[in-house]
Amino acid sequence: MGERAAAASLKFVTVQANSASLAEARARVFEFFKTTCRSIPTVMEIYNLQDVVNESQLRSAVSSEIRRHAHITNPKVIDMLLQKGTEELHNIVQHSKQRHHIIGQYVVGQRGLVHDLGTKDEGTSDFLKNFYKSNYF
Amino acid sequence: MASITRASVSMPSLSTSVNQSQRRISGLNSVSFPVSGRSMIPSLRLQRGLQVCCAAKQETVDKVVAIVKKQLALPADAAVTGESKFAALGADSLDTVEIVMGLEEEFDITVEEESAQSITTVQEAADMIEKLVEK
Repeated sequence: MGERAAAASLKFVTVQANSASLAEARARVFEFFKTTCRSIPTVMEIYNLQDVVNESQLRSAVSSEIRRHAHITNPKVIDMLLQKGTEELHNIVQHSKQRHHIIGQYVVGQRGLVHDLGTKDEGTSDFLKNFYKSNYF
Repeated sequence: MASITRASVSMPSLSTSVNQSQRRISGLNSVSFPVSGRSMIPSLRLQRGLQVCCAAKQETVDKVVAIVKKQLALPADAAVTGESKFAALGADSLDTVEIVMGLEEEFDITVEEESAQSITTVQEAADMIEKLVEK
């Protein structure tokens, strides 16, 4: 794990020149995705996410974020999205964000309430769970 | 399994040691070790310095297959073998990268950029993992 963390060190985040073609932009997207995936163990360590989520779930959250923009063909737009993504990753790894940000944006994400991984709420009734969710059920 | 060590070469007469190692090689040939059914040609596992390129272990291939199935959300009885191509199983390029990342996490290795480009089948992934794990 030490190797992977060293490979993904994000100490200096600078703006790169525009990519010349769609192929280069594509390569940069994969490079960004790999850097992100290699930083995931660090992120889990920093924000103590071991009980809430596991690495492959975070990985699929990242890939679904990337897939949301998979239809874009303009290299400049891709560069801009990569710039924003790198900035976000940098903020997360530098602990500029807090745990509830990570959980709300990437663990729960678009799905709604997170399924309980702990043993605390497993025994409660479905009535209570629906009650907590909304007024109408 | 008899292993040929370099230390055994430092013997008084070189010719004797060469004969010994030759005898040991022939000893390896006659030993029957489990053939996993993949190839009928028995592959000799020589020591590190004399490494011959061997096919990946079956358990490595099984782990790779499990990760691929989970990533592509395939049913548990889908036919995924060593020769299946990722593209044929319905993976796009981002899926392939994600599978490689999953393998990195599972086996605690780091895959180089150039090696990652050339992976298209399950067997290639397993071979590359074997090579990296041995380092």
